Amino acid sequence: MVGKEHVTMIPSAPKTIWSATVNGQDVQAIAPSNAILLDVLRDEVGMLGVKRGCDLGTCGCCAVLIDGEPRLSCLCLAGQVEGQEITTVEGLADGAHLAPIQTCFATHGGSQCGFCTPGFLMSAEALLNENENPTRDEIACAIEGNLCRCTGYQQIVDSIEAAAEIKRGDAPAPSPASDPHPNPHPEGPDEPSMPPGHAR
Amino acid sequence: MAGGYRQQPGASSGEVRKDGKRVAGKQKFPPPGSGGSRPTMAPRDLDSIPESVGGKEPQPAGSHIHDRYRTGTEVGKPRALVDSHAKVTGQAWYGDDVRLPNEIIGKILRSPHHYAKIKSIDTSKVEALPGVLAVATGADAPNTFGVLPVTKDEHAMAVEKVRHVGDLVACVAAVDEATAMEALNLFEIEWEVLDPVFDPRKGLEDQDEPIHWRGKYHVGTTNVQKRVFQEFGDRSLVDDPTASSHGKWRMEGVHHGFTEPHAVVAHWDPNGRLQLYTPQQVPHYAHRALSTVLEVPMHQINVIRTFVGGGFGGKSDPFPHEMCAAILSRKAGRPVRINFSREEVYWINRGRHPSYIEVKMTADEEARISGFDIDALIDGGGFASFGHVTSYYNGVLATAPYELGSFHYTGARVWTNKPASGAMRGHGAVNTRCAVEVGLDEMAEQMQVDPIDLRLANLLPPHSRTISGFRITSNGMREALERVRDGSDWDAKFRQMPLGKGIGIGCGFFISGSGLPIHWDPNRFPHATVHIQIDMDGGVTVHTGAADIGQGSTTAVAQVVSEVLALPIEMIHVRSHESDTSPVDLGSYSSRVTFMNANAAIRAALDIREKLLNAAWEMLGYHPDVLVLNDRRIYYKHDPAVGVSYLQALHKAQEDKGSLISSGAYRSPPMGGVHKGAAAGLAPAYSFSAYVAEVDVDVETGLVSCTNVWAAHDCGKALNPLAVEGQIIGSCHMGLGQVLSEKMVYGRTGHLQNPNLLEYKIPSVHEMPHVTPIIVESSDPEGPFGAKEAGEGPLLPILPAVVNAVYDAIGVRIRELPLTPDVVWKAISAKTKSLGGIDETELPSPRLEHSSLQATLVARGLEHKERDRRRQRSEDTSAYVNGVLFGFDPDRPLEDQVDGWKSAVEPVPEQLAELGLAGKAWLKKEQRQMGGDQ
Amino acid sequence: MMLMPPFNLHHPKTVEEACELAATFLANKESFDWVAGGTDLLPNYKWHINVKTHVISLANIPGLDTISMHEIGAMARLGALTTAENVHPLIASAASKIASSLIRNNATLGGNICLDTRCFWFNQSEDWRRSIDWCHKEDCGTGSDCRVIPNQNTLCVATYQGDLAPSLMALEGTIHIIGPNGPRSLPVDEFFQLDGITRNVLQEGEFVLKVTFPENVANRTGSYKKLRVRESWDFPEAGVASSWIPGDPSSLRVASTALESIPRSHQEEVDALGTAFSKEHIPQLSEAIMKSIKPVNNTALPPRYRKSMVRVLAKRSLREILGD
Ligand SMILES: Cc1cc2nc3c(=O)[nH]c(=O)nc-3n(C[C@H](O)[C@H](O)[C@H](O)COP(=O)(O)OP(=O)(O)OC[C@H]3O[C@@H](n4cnc5c(N)ncnc54)[C@H](O)[C@@H]3O)c2cc1C
Ligand code: SF4
Ligand code: FES
Ligand code: FES
Repeated sequence: MVGKEHVTMIPSAPKTIWSATVNGQDVQAIAPSNAILLDVLRDEVGMLGVKRGCDLGTCGCCAVLIDGEPRLSCLCLAGQVEGQEITTVEGLADGAHLAPIQTCFATHGGSQCGFCTPGFLMSAEALLNENENPTRDEIACAIEGNLCRCTGYQQIVDSIEAAAEIKRGDAPAPSPASDPHPNPHPEGPDEPSMPPGHAR
Repeated sequence: MAGGYRQQPGASSGEVRKDGKRVAGKQKFPPPGSGGSRPTMAPRDLDSIPESVGGKEPQPAGSHIHDRYRTGTEVGKPRALVDSHAKVTGQAWYGDDVRLPNEIIGKILRSPHHYAKIKSIDTSKVEALPGVLAVATGADAPNTFGVLPVTKDEHAMAVEKVRHVGDLVACVAAVDEATAMEALNLFEIEWEVLDPVFDPRKGLEDQDEPIHWRGKYHVGTTNVQKRVFQEFGDRSLVDDPTASSHGKWRMEGVHHGFTEPHAVVAHWDPNGRLQLYTPQQVPHYAHRALSTVLEVPMHQINVIRTFVGGGFGGKSDPFPHEMCAAILSRKAGRPVRINFSREEVYWINRGRHPSYIEVKMTADEEARISGFDIDALIDGGGFASFGHVTSYYNGVLATAPYELGSFHYTGARVWTNKPASGAMRGHGAVNTRCAVEVGLDEMAEQMQVDPIDLRLANLLPPHSRTISGFRITSNGMREALERVRDGSDWDAKFRQMPLGKGIGIGCGFFISGSGLPIHWDPNRFPHATVHIQIDMDGGVTVHTGAADIGQGSTTAVAQVVSEVLALPIEMIHVRSHESDTSPVDLGSYSSRVTFMNANAAIRAALDIREKLLNAAWEMLGYHPDVLVLNDRRIYYKHDPAVGVSYLQALHKAQEDKGSLISSGAYRSPPMGGVHKGAAAGLAPAYSFSAYVAEVDVDVETGLVSCTNVWAAHDCGKALNPLAVEGQIIGSCHMGLGQVLSEKMVYGRTGHLQNPNLLEYKIPSVHEMPHVTPIIVESSDPEGPFGAKEAGEGPLLPILPAVVNAVYDAIGVRIRELPLTPDVVWKAISAKTKSLGGIDETELPSPRLEHSSLQATLVARGLEHKERDRRRQRSEDTSAYVNGVLFGFDPDRPLEDQVDGWKSAVEPVPEQLAELGLAGKAWLKKEQRQMGGDQ
Repeated sequence: MMLMPPFNLHHPKTVEEACELAATFLANKESFDWVAGGTDLLPNYKWHINVKTHVISLANIPGLDTISMHEIGAMARLGALTTAENVHPLIASAASKIASSLIRNNATLGGNICLDTRCFWFNQSEDWRRSIDWCHKEDCGTGSDCRVIPNQNTLCVATYQGDLAPSLMALEGTIHIIGPNGPRSLPVDEFFQLDGITRNVLQEGEFVLKVTFPENVANRTGSYKKLRVRESWDFPEAGVASSWIPGDPSSLRVASTALESIPRSHQEEVDALGTAFSKEHIPQLSEAIMKSIKPVNNTALPPRYRKSMVRVLAKRSLREILGD
């Protein structure tokens, strides 16, 4: 397998200091001048939520928001987005509060294995930021660059519709996914509710 | 409610920080004695408690032995996956997200040749490259492995020869990716290139150098890896058929296409134990293979299953790159991470076999199916993988859901110089199922009957036996067919739509867990084990080895434990990642997890339940029979105020013992016939499904788009309807890919031309039809709360439904998958030419004029419907074996009733001449029969 | 990860600076590529195809992304073209069919026009191409033959699969180029040049600045038909664009893409119709267009099929502009 035909990999391109705003924080990273944004985000900035599914633009797992626009980080030179504002899946939640789109992906089956989920969330978030009342077709167009092998997309579209409703204020933010009973103090006809821990 | 605890983070908090962010809220947590986030006991959810135990949940399929453990807490409720929050926040850690301190990067050198001997490998230049920390070749790991103990034919890296382009040759670990990649080019290898075989049909012939050598079991000197012959029933019934169909199919290989490429991290910890992180569906087999290859006892290896970004069968073999990482890490003394490019994912493959399938079938004058005659030649690629089983599944999984007069199957799997095929969702059953269902459609057309009525009048009932001896228990096939017929408005559409629009039906049948574990005797060891441990805090830790690959097995386990113990699901903590802490589980394949693992979990939970009830008995003085578990509380049935909290009972039960610990196991019942291969396809339960698909065909371009699918699947009992629907829709997507656009293209030089997601065409959101999932619940007597599988079976019917719908739309039967536009267009052109060169837009649409048989079928279908209802509800418990429809007595051996009733697993010499393509594998003798034995 | 071989990325801030950089590299005999959105260049680089020592990014030059009815800058993003209000509907509709919405947010007009030609023997990793002993387009010094049409060492027949070119041709676009030797412009029709390696008339150091359209372009109606298996991601397997000023047969323009190594204007076939254009002429014209092209086997679908489909696409496109 030796041959003059081989393209040499070392030494790598000269390193430069790359800076940008990632999830609201100014970050600086040392990366080769030819670095791909995806690699910088994962390996240097530590945003492992950005996924690599294909490295060639065909799966959307690596989507991030760049100045609010969803783009593929695997087909983006880090140097080209120097100084710009980048949002990854890690930046969606407001502190400990999940964004509606995150909650809805959980409650509506939008995420099975979850590997495609970060990418879908970014595409969906960008859509809902522009259009709070998207049709199912508009949702489909927004996520056409994201590949999901598990869900068949239908529950993803459901999830995005549900999140749009919450964003519009047409539906209340859902209770935590772990609570199957919506009402914590129910009064059922069958049995009186009673405080636990008071045995005779 | 004085002095409740607080838990972070909670739903909301009014506080806002200076930068506008809300402050993490705190959530009220009730005082000790409860656990969970609800401060008071919820009333019993009677809607989720079965009728048989006094609830309001209807049970059309009858009661279930687990009914009395239902507490209305979780089962049957749509539920978010318990790990979904990790997934939506980016915190789920997949293979490539494991970053260990001091890690280095491993890379694999892959074969540029299809088939070649390695005469020598010189690694001196590689080792000399600064930054290279370890180099390994096949010589470092001579032991073979393979997922099935009978066919261990893989090495970590090629030992003597490479078997396909992309086969592993050597590997290196270096300080960074660039150095490792550079190093790959410094290996100096001398090859002796051999003649490759790509066409599986050629693989049946004798070769100078077969791809593998099986010693005395080798079939001639061919590349046949496995051959199967099976014949059951009365072959004379196929004479003088009223209708017959003969189809020769060509199905391309397809790949799982999971979004997460393989990745692995190996780390020998300071104590000399191997910690191996890998996205595995079947960590246990990887564990065994690692032990063999590395020559390290299993207890010195901890296999840590990371989150798995989709598997579908493609992550269920032990993989050579897992060995490579371990070997490199051992040499370098540092953690090694290997992650695959998408192209490498295709090299390791294990996708569905490219297949040549021939199906002949006949129906008699009463439109009973007198015979299935199936021949399947499948292309195994370079290694055996699961192929031994696939060779059987291609035939035996076609023996239901219909009652057959006779069944004849010849199958062969051959090695070729391509990446290995293996198990993929719907393992082995998908291609033949498609061929069979399309054949039925054709026979229905010949007999001028409705294809749904043809099926309804030929179904095996619940609690019956198939022609090959599989034990069918619950069976929701009929309901599935009826519901898709209604849902799709079939009767108003079939054979009535304009040219270019079509509707089609397809059914499916699949195993719910394989009856025999691969590695051990099921009579001695269980299939699955689950441990539960509860400490004083009341949190329930469930240890299971079941691998959650996105299908939600962790959620299912948490749900059943939550249901039995009547505890909120957030109190159940499933630990399943590490082999150190998880009991052995056979992994996520053959749709076994929910059935077996949840059954084991129920057993473990019942043990705990009994301990809690006994403690409550002691405290309250009421016998457990009159105690009720509900939402963190145990109380006297007739006076709910008399009770103890869960925590009180727990602490009582813990006196003298400390933690409560239990273990539950699942073992399948003895079943099945005695013939060779009888175990293949045996399962403790089977799932059934029926789909109707609607398509639009652009007759000028041949583009097919599927617009609507009504998908009914019998999963026994939907523990989590949201997840079941997700599986159904996801299966539709995957099956649709195979039928419309996906194929692994091997070009004229035998190279895989499309090892990427651009040219390997997985449907996008635009290709997805609207799917109406319909859940059929037949309540399986042995399933956990009645549940059966829902992960694989739902894939099967979509293929034939679409192919049949295309026929309905354009009147052309195509037996070549996928139906890419060029294939459809070619078929349309041939048809228009045969009709005298008419324009495509003038193609006649097929129409249906019922014959007199239609009435016979409808009547029989109605009669059988009543028969099935009674059997399902155990109102009729008489024996039923395949053959009753043909007038045989189920209580006497069939062999005694007909002369010709066969049960053969090898052809007799007279048959050899008439065997199909794969059957030709039987023309050769095994080496031991030829006197050879080496 | 598909690590790219090392190269230096440069970010000129003005057109002049870009030209100067190019001139310097040329003078030093150092190789370089332009990069716009990178959605075509980067996959090739990840496959280690034709990697240069320097790459000059056009992304930081302001003013190259104008979008209007009469002028579109080379750096206009395809995503913006699909939503912009003042762009010709034919361009918007053709752009909306390219790749996926995510890719369109990176991809640019200039990159789309200058797209490298494609071939399944070629758009593969270094390892893969080594396993077939390379091919003529990137023979790595081995003198390898073309794998599609063997036994000739002079020609690459890789397929040009850009989606926008035929529409730009049908709207009579003019392409504006600049380089160390100054600016020049020419009709889009004349921009492309055989073979699959040469691709276009750009001289070393030149790059595309913008495409402009004639005054009357707004009067044109147009239609682009694309053949693809999936409605996302897929490159065209064949594409036909047509346009005219309704009622004026002499204004009829038809062009095709994804069938040969360059997109093609079908003026010859259109002219053969004479001075009329109505419904009755469609079959004849479509047939003539089909006959004029010779696809080869290096894309997803077989060439015979693609050729036949040209007729269907042309027919549908022409019907649409006739309002039929
Ligand atoms: C998954 C996938 C699917 C795709 N599908 C399609 C499709 O359906 N249809 C389609 O047409 N394309 C498709 N593409 C290709 C590509 O995304 C688009 O053509 C895009 O418009 C290219 O623009 P870019 O700015 O990203 O190009 P770049 O990658 O930046 O450049 C492409 C080439 O043009 C040169 N170049 C760029 N700008 C200039 C300039 N101003 N002057 C001179 N040379 C220049 C570059 O040097 C390079 O050689 C697809 C790509 C991917 C990855
Ligand atoms: S057309 Fe021939 S020379 Fe050109 S890329 Fe393909 S194989 Fe290579
Ligand atoms: S990793 Fe970027 S699109 Fe697949
Ligand atoms: S959830 Fe698995 S790929 Fe989308």
